[in-house]
Amino acid sequence: MLRNYRARARLNPYLQETRRDEFELKNALRFLALGSTALLATSLMVGCSASDGQEEQVSELTLYSGRSEEFIAPFLSQWERSSGIKLNVRYGDSAELAAQLLEEGANSPADLFLSQDAGSLGAIAAAELFTELPESVARDIPAEYIAANRSWVGVTGRARVFAYRPGAFSALPQSLSELTAPVYKGKLGIAPSNSSFQAAITALIGAKGEAFTEEWLRGLVANDVKSYLKNSAIVEAIDKNEISIGLTNHYYTWEVAEALGREIAVENGFFSANDLGNLINVSGVGILSSSRKISTAQNLISYLTSKEVQSEFVEKTHEYALIPGLTPPADLPALTAIGAPRVDLDSLKNIKVTQDLLIKVGLL
Amino acid sequence: MNFRLEKIKALPILVALLLGLVLIPFIYLLFRAGEKSIPEAVDLLLRAKTLEVLATTTALLALVVIINVLLGTLIATGLHFVRIPYSRALIIPTVLPLAIPSYVFTYTWMALIPALSGLWAAAFILVLTTLPYMILAVLISLRQLDSGLIEVARSLGLTKPAIFFRVVLPQIRSSISAGALLSGLYVMSDYGAVSLLRVDTLTVTIANMFKSSYDRGAAAVISLLLVLASLIFVSADQLIKGRSISDNASKRSSVKNTRLSSPSLRVATLTLTLTYALLSVLIPFSVLISRFIGNPNPIDYQRLLAAATSTILVSAIGAVMALAIAIPLAILTAQGPGRFAQFSERVILVGHALPGVVIGLALVSLGVHLGALYQSIFLLAFAYALLFLAKAVAATTQALQLVPPVLREVAATLGKNRTSVTASVVFPIALPSIGLGALLVFLTAMKELPATIMLRPTGMDTLATQIWSYASISRFNDAAPYALLLVLIAAIPTFLLTLPPAERGNQAEIDSMSSTAQKMREPV
Repeated sequence: MLRNYRARARLNPYLQETRRDEFELKNALRFLALGSTALLATSLMVGCSASDGQEEQVSELTLYSGRSEEFIAPFLSQWERSSGIKLNVRYGDSAELAAQLLEEGANSPADLFLSQDAGSLGAIAAAELFTELPESVARDIPAEYIAANRSWVGVTGRARVFAYRPGAFSALPQSLSELTAPVYKGKLGIAPSNSSFQAAITALIGAKGEAFTEEWLRGLVANDVKSYLKNSAIVEAIDKNEISIGLTNHYYTWEVAEALGREIAVENGFFSANDLGNLINVSGVGILSSSRKISTAQNLISYLTSKEVQSEFVEKTHEYALIPGLTPPADLPALTAIGAPRVDLDSLKNIKVTQDLLIKVGLL
Repeated sequence: MNFRLEKIKALPILVALLLGLVLIPFIYLLFRAGEKSIPEAVDLLLRAKTLEVLATTTALLALVVIINVLLGTLIATGLHFVRIPYSRALIIPTVLPLAIPSYVFTYTWMALIPALSGLWAAAFILVLTTLPYMILAVLISLRQLDSGLIEVARSLGLTKPAIFFRVVLPQIRSSISAGALLSGLYVMSDYGAVSLLRVDTLTVTIANMFKSSYDRGAAAVISLLLVLASLIFVSADQLIKGRSISDNASKRSSVKNTRLSSPSLRVATLTLTLTYALLSVLIPFSVLISRFIGNPNPIDYQRLLAAATSTILVSAIGAVMALAIAIPLAILTAQGPGRFAQFSERVILVGHALPGVVIGLALVSLGVHLGALYQSIFLLAFAYALLFLAKAVAATTQALQLVPPVLREVAATLGKNRTSVTASVVFPIALPSIGLGALLVFLTAMKELPATIMLRPTGMDTLATQIWSYASISRFNDAAPYALLLVLIAAIPTFLLTLPPAERGNQAEIDSMSSTAQKMREPV
């Protein structure tokens, strides 16, 4: 690993620079650890039993999943049964897991990262922590849903929509830019810390520029926009009549109704064709370059991107299948009929600019 | 003859090493903050949002602390002085809320009032959560009150309010301040309640930045602001404590003669206590139980049991680790003022205000180099020890101060060396109180969430993580069994906390020992 780093560092002086800093940090921390962890050392002796060697016979895989257990576990256990391989799954929020993976760096125990959105995948790809996927994996998924350097591949599609309370407005918005109008004052909900919202803003910056986006965000803040922690909270707030409209993903109306076990007074709406509010984002998966079980991990990806499983996703989680020709979720237009803007999903990794902007306008 | 604990030679070295452990999160923050240039950091600190968040945090802190001081002192003095039936039993529901995590309070109250949000709502929930710290602290010091002084004051013709303000209050002031400190630090570090109620405090901002913005440098800069804010808060407490009357000697107080039985005081005390019990115990409990009964989905009992087992196991290891770190630090603090002792005390207290996410990420970045230790229960337990060390140190320090110096001196004159004095005289007496400190760490660790999410072994659930993951997809019914079990398990150590010292410790023994020792010291 070290030799590999040196070879790369010779080619890339910037890498050399940052790597050296990392080493200094690492050494300092290690010094601290060695100097003062008598307590930890004793624990180590107890805790040190099963460490992964360089084994050919793979019996388990470690997956960090940003998709909640409720929705993905049935699919995963199906794969476990058919492959005979045990999955250790660490469930969490996509962005939180991405932050953890970045902190873990090259020593991560994870083999795969399944994320709710392209932005978190892009952040891991940008840190060069993903390994390239061969052409033979995920053959049926169209190229627009795969990272250009094949560091990750899309698994399901989710459309950005506005969820709204029927009857709350005389006319529905046609474009994101209309949401700063007085009629939405105090009535609009967003989830600024949520990665799917951030991905949408990243796309907006890419298309309309930073100045336009900043002005629009400031307009939202001036219009007393309400911030929520998650998309589902937006839908719930609309149902409770706390707000009347919110920016979210298409399947949350279904998910919240399912969780509450009743019909809710919330519907999905799309903006006019090609508006950036209709962005299609993907959940996706990549293999960590630190993994020593790459071919087994590729098998799992092939399974998740197979036609059968894709159809099941539509049925069981109300997401879009990415393979062309499969039926869309109930009550929704086909992926190609949404009027989605053309956005390179790879560009959604420029999340840093988005976040700086959100911090600047005070939404984060 | 001036035998003192500090003469244990290896102590300062040991403490310095342990402080190194305690400093891990701070070192991490400094490294991460170092990723930002100074102008960038200044921009970040001076932007409108930061100032707004700082103002919100201060307002929330002030609200909760002021309400806590008033209500906590009233309830505790009422329960102590006013003659009411079952006053001992009444203490239990005022301390029981310690068993309920702030996010469970919030979920249960949101089930009743869906529109609950904002600063006042957060203050309400946090008062429910932290008032027991105040009541416990004041009650404990009231039990050690010198009732002779009250009798003297009464014989001098002082009115009851005058006695309270001029005799009682000065004696319990340092405990009020300690309770305020604990609840204040809790408010600063709370994430669950404030994030659900959409109040942007420093901790919420830090957590959001750390996890959503991949900009760990900015988050670290704001974290350092939180460190500074809590340092100011801690120093304010030490100023108050410094001016109060300190009492080291243990006094037998017979409260019987000083009990009050006016009907209006009885009604007032009962109303306050029962209202608090209703809001903080009865209502959340009934919501949980109705959710539990109304849950149409089958409960996976095996998983519930596994989550409970790992919660108890990791929290218990964490409590033991916290004690192992706390005891040497407490010995140092108990020996009195000194720059080093003061420094270590402040570091520990400020550490208490750090959000779990900071400790979590600091230990991820360190732990990932520790091989099999990473994502093991031991690293998670160590995180608990770091997070709640202040509780263990406070209890241990208090316990060591309980030991009359004269006992140590006598033991020393009898030819015992210092280590064996500590082992055979000091610790047996201090042990019950030290145990309480461990209990408090155990209790809080069971409820901890952000660090648990980050550091737990892959695939291991705790009760807290299960509650959070169900609640985060709005499946409150499925979360209910986990929440109920967590509260029930946590209620056991909480109940132990309410027992008066005479029943849980050997106060009488200490007293008889120290009076014997006193006699031995008197010239024959």
